[in-house]
Amino acid sequence: MKILRFAALGAVAALALAACGTDTPADNESPSAGGTPEPATIKLWLNGTDTPQELRDYLTTTFASENPGSKLVIEQQDWSGLVPRLQTALASEDQTPDVVEIGNTQAPTFTWAGAFADITDLYPALGGEKLLQGFVDAGTADGKIYAVPYYSGARAVFYNKDVFKDAGVEVPTTLAEFNDAAKKLTTDKVSGLWLPGQDWYSGASWLFTNGGDFAVQEGDQWKGALSSDASVAGLTQVQDLFTNATNAPADSDSAEPWVPFNNGEAAMFYAPTWARWSINIKECDEKVAADDQSDEATEKRTKQQACNEEHTGIFPLPGNSADEVATAFAGGSNLAVAAKSKHPELAKNLLKIIFSADFQNQLGSKGLIPGNSEYTASVGDDVYAQAAVKAALAAKLTPAAENWATVEGDRVLEDFFQQLATGQDVKTAATAADQRIADILNG
Amino acid sequence: MAASAPTAPARPPVRRRRPRLGAYGLLLPASIVIGVALGYPLVRQFVLSFQEFGLKQQFGAPPEWVGLQNYTDLLTDSYVWTVIARSIAFCLVNAALTMLVGVALAVLMERVARGARMTLQVALLLAWGTPVLASMTVWQWLFDTQYGVINWTLVHVFGLDQFDRHSWIVQPLSFYLVATVIVVWMSVPFVAFSVYAGLLQVPAETMEAAQLDGASPRQRFWNITMPMIRPVLTIVLLLQVIWDLKVFTQIYTLQRAGAPTRETNLLGTLIYSMSKDFGQAGALATIMLVITLALTGFYIRKMLKEDEL
Repeated sequence: MKILRFAALGAVAALALAACGTDTPADNESPSAGGTPEPATIKLWLNGTDTPQELRDYLTTTFASENPGSKLVIEQQDWSGLVPRLQTALASEDQTPDVVEIGNTQAPTFTWAGAFADITDLYPALGGEKLLQGFVDAGTADGKIYAVPYYSGARAVFYNKDVFKDAGVEVPTTLAEFNDAAKKLTTDKVSGLWLPGQDWYSGASWLFTNGGDFAVQEGDQWKGALSSDASVAGLTQVQDLFTNATNAPADSDSAEPWVPFNNGEAAMFYAPTWARWSINIKECDEKVAADDQSDEATEKRTKQQACNEEHTGIFPLPGNSADEVATAFAGGSNLAVAAKSKHPELAKNLLKIIFSADFQNQLGSKGLIPGNSEYTASVGDDVYAQAAVKAALAAKLTPAAENWATVEGDRVLEDFFQQLATGQDVKTAATAADQRIADILNG
Repeated sequence: MAASAPTAPARPPVRRRRPRLGAYGLLLPASIVIGVALGYPLVRQFVLSFQEFGLKQQFGAPPEWVGLQNYTDLLTDSYVWTVIARSIAFCLVNAALTMLVGVALAVLMERVARGARMTLQVALLLAWGTPVLASMTVWQWLFDTQYGVINWTLVHVFGLDQFDRHSWIVQPLSFYLVATVIVVWMSVPFVAFSVYAGLLQVPAETMEAAQLDGASPRQRFWNITMPMIRPVLTIVLLLQVIWDLKVFTQIYTLQRAGAPTRETNLLGTLIYSMSKDFGQAGALATIMLVITLALTGFYIRKMLKEDEL
């Protein structure tokens, strides 16, 4: 048994050491100076399924034809856990994507840290002052521009017309009416509103509309604002919805809220307006395979979409009075060239394609409000576009603090909204969350 | 170490010198691998723990020396202590459970007929061989609030209606229960196979002699088998303690499945969440190393002593 023991001891030593390794930062070499771009393969990171496949295909083919010999590879990342992933990838010259999409609320942190390349000289060519200003501000540090707006959008409410009719519920015109309608539509099997416990993006609308906020700046210090009276009023409504208007689990986030809606398990869901392309309720499902490109499949798909749009509707979340819409969370994202990209020139060429009139209009036609305001009209004027634009005009950003991305990265708000969903006292939970937010923002 | 290789050897001990050089030569590759793969990160981590190394430094700004600041910040934070206590408790409970189930399965494997043993071994190997993330996905679906088969079974087979849409991971205690089930399930095969191998080494003659002397099966197990496989048990337990203290993947994946992050952090996930500040993360990793050594030092010393006998 002695041999066995000896060998195992060696293994113990090795494993014990291995247990203690930790991240090491990559070398801090500066990227090679760009001249005429040599043909190469560049990487673009897009997040979630927000950018439809058609637009991705357009980018790869256009890029390849405009940059002979070069190739664009698009890699899809999850929104969840994006901050730490970008942090490790962007710091490594060998692993960094060349162009990244980053949430507008996460942009300031990376901009200030020097993670992005300075693209001030490109700014006029990309659209200059026509670019959405709030997003440009989020990507600006010391007067230089590092990140530019990709698209914006706010949430709107999708609803099932048939369920509304059966329950005798009209489209609500005020937030109070909306809350009542959501509760009235809720049964054991069906949620009036699909509102998962960790979905703070949606919950923010009640917070903002009641005059509350996540944090406010006082002098040069940040202070958590969730426990202010206005915030608590909004959060109490959110808790009421969690308790009485939804069967959504407290342990779910905002990903794919259309799944329960399509299954007939929810009468309404609250999501960015491009969710329209993911709606497919049972009555309309033609069961076409996603990769089937035949004429018959295309025809069925058109029929399916028309059926879905007939049976479902959309409205911006109403505000405190009938002539207002709610102040929603301004969703959207920015684009930036990684500071450590080995092919900055090619990366800039890609940005030029993205900001071409052609691509901007395509973004609009897919329900994403394009980064260049000159092309907002491309969103169209159907009910979806109207709801999208109305909601977006009234929308508001998260606090413009340099460390805000850490609040998101540490999942402070997911934890907090989950506490509301599991019935904890609003004021107590809000006070604790305020403390954490202040610690991070001032840290 | 005595100096060797005299320049003008009067009585050249060629036969003795060659093997010695050869022995050092053979040690070299392993030393280089350990030095590069383990030594460098360890030293780097240690150095980082005395620096302010945030996001800006990752992108090129020079780091700043802060002395023991990172350590004092961490050790005066009551939350860090909570997480340390949690991690140690989780580690001990999991290591103990894994050992218990693993040894029981090993004994079972030794006793049952061939067919049953093969089935058991294949099942254990599959549990051991499945990639962690793949099996985590399966476990997540099993415990899923809405569509999970566990809730479904509890409601529809056992009629326990309170489990309808019951969330298993939203309460910390219940979260650790689920994590424990998963971690134990993943670690048991290693213990079972190691102990089973140990059991096969117990000489049949000894057992037979004991039986002839009138020792009951229980006495034979506790007084002969257990002492004989004790070295194996010690080593396996040691490894379990180390592994369960640094558990990361299972906890992280379950957190992402929707658990409250702050209330379920263990040391591994807490260090990961500090990734914006490598200095603090390095300090906490060093603290974790000290805890690991404190928990296991006793065993390692005992093992080394036994080896000398």
